Amino acid sequence: MRHVSRTGSLVFAMAVVATAIAAGCASAPAPLRTEASTSGIRAAEEVGAPKVPRAALHLQLAKEELEHANGLAASGHRDQASSLLLRAQADAELAVMLSREDTEKSEARAAVERARQLRQETN
Amino acid sequence: MRSNRVFVGVACAGFLASCATTAPNELVSAREAYRRASTGSAASVAPAELHVANEALSQAERSFQEHSDSYRTRDLAYVAQRKSEMAEATASIAIEQKSQTEAKSDYQATQDKMAVQAKQDLSDTRSALAASERSGELAAERLSAEQAARTAADQRAADAQAALAKLGAVKDEPRGMVITLSGSVLFASNRAILLPEARSRLDQVAAVLLTTRERNLTVEGHTDSQGSDSYNLGLSQRRADAVRNYLVQADYQADRIQAHGLGKGHPIADNASPEGRANNRRVEIIIEREPHTSNP
Repeated sequence: MRHVSRTGSLVFAMAVVATAIAAGCASAPAPLRTEASTSGIRAAEEVGAPKVPRAALHLQLAKEELEHANGLAASGHRDQASSLLLRAQADAELAVMLSREDTEKSEARAAVERARQLRQETN
Repeated sequence: MRSNRVFVGVACAGFLASCATTAPNELVSAREAYRRASTGSAASVAPAELHVANEALSQAERSFQEHSDSYRTRDLAYVAQRKSEMAEATASIAIEQKSQTEAKSDYQATQDKMAVQAKQDLSDTRSALAASERSGELAAERLSAEQAARTAADQRAADAQAALAKLGAVKDEPRGMVITLSGSVLFASNRAILLPEARSRLDQVAAVLLTTRERNLTVEGHTDSQGSDSYNLGLSQRRADAVRNYLVQADYQADRIQAHGLGKGHPIADNASPEGRANNRRVEIIIEREPHTSNP
């Protein structure tokens, strides 16, 4: 009888531990997926967005939104944080595009000027 | 087109929904951004990016219908606005790239044109140089031929002078080479008809002169001091003409021979003695120094 009681106590303890582990796994929040935003921000910086005023503005917005999202996630508002990351990603992508647009404009202007000067030399 | 229809449908639904609830600022901005992009160059230049923007706006509109002014709706609308702006940027990039490509083609075409022109200029210069060289060669050949002709003429003149020296008195004077023929040998007294002996002598002179056809001749008639000036002038002229005519008959060019009667005005000896007067009665043939390649 005593033996049975000891075995029952062990089973009960194991059940409590398993329940606790299961409960712990369910309540621990998954890490915020910021890869798309951070890689977008890095790409914008690499293509020279900080030197192009409009691109620099959106790059700054992306950084602030990422920071804000991290803050929301830390305070338990994970869904809102994930949603805000979409903004950060979109601003980073736009910063890349605006930077590229600026580069293409400069190169096109230079090419047109070169062609004009060469034509002028032949006349 | 399909995406546009979807957008119109979603927009209508959004409008109906907005009758009940006011759309958030992000959604209003997203709608305006899409309208601007879809009516601009992005519609034709960046249709894929515009489609993505349309999808994003549709998602935001659906969220607005389901959750009204939620953070989710505002975030999706914000993203939709950025997608429309990206479509516009993509279109702008494509246009700039096209402009750049055209400018490069223009540059290349101009360079090609310059290369062709430079090639043509080089060819022209080479041709001009070749023509110049040919011209120089021809000029050198011509000069060489002229020098040869002059040398030959000089040689003929020297030969003629040597031959004439054997026939009579020959003097080299500033006015030319002067052949002096005695009047008593050529003509009877007071007459201007050549004696037979004179013809023989003149034949020898003419034979030599014919070797230097390119030179002009002057035949001068001279008399002694006896007789009037007018008579002597007339006689000396007739005698000079007689000698000239003989030389012309001997085939010397008529337009290269002039005849002048100078009377008694240019004696070469003293008229006081018979010998002196005999020497003064003479005919001189003057051969010009410089040969003439054409008629005088």
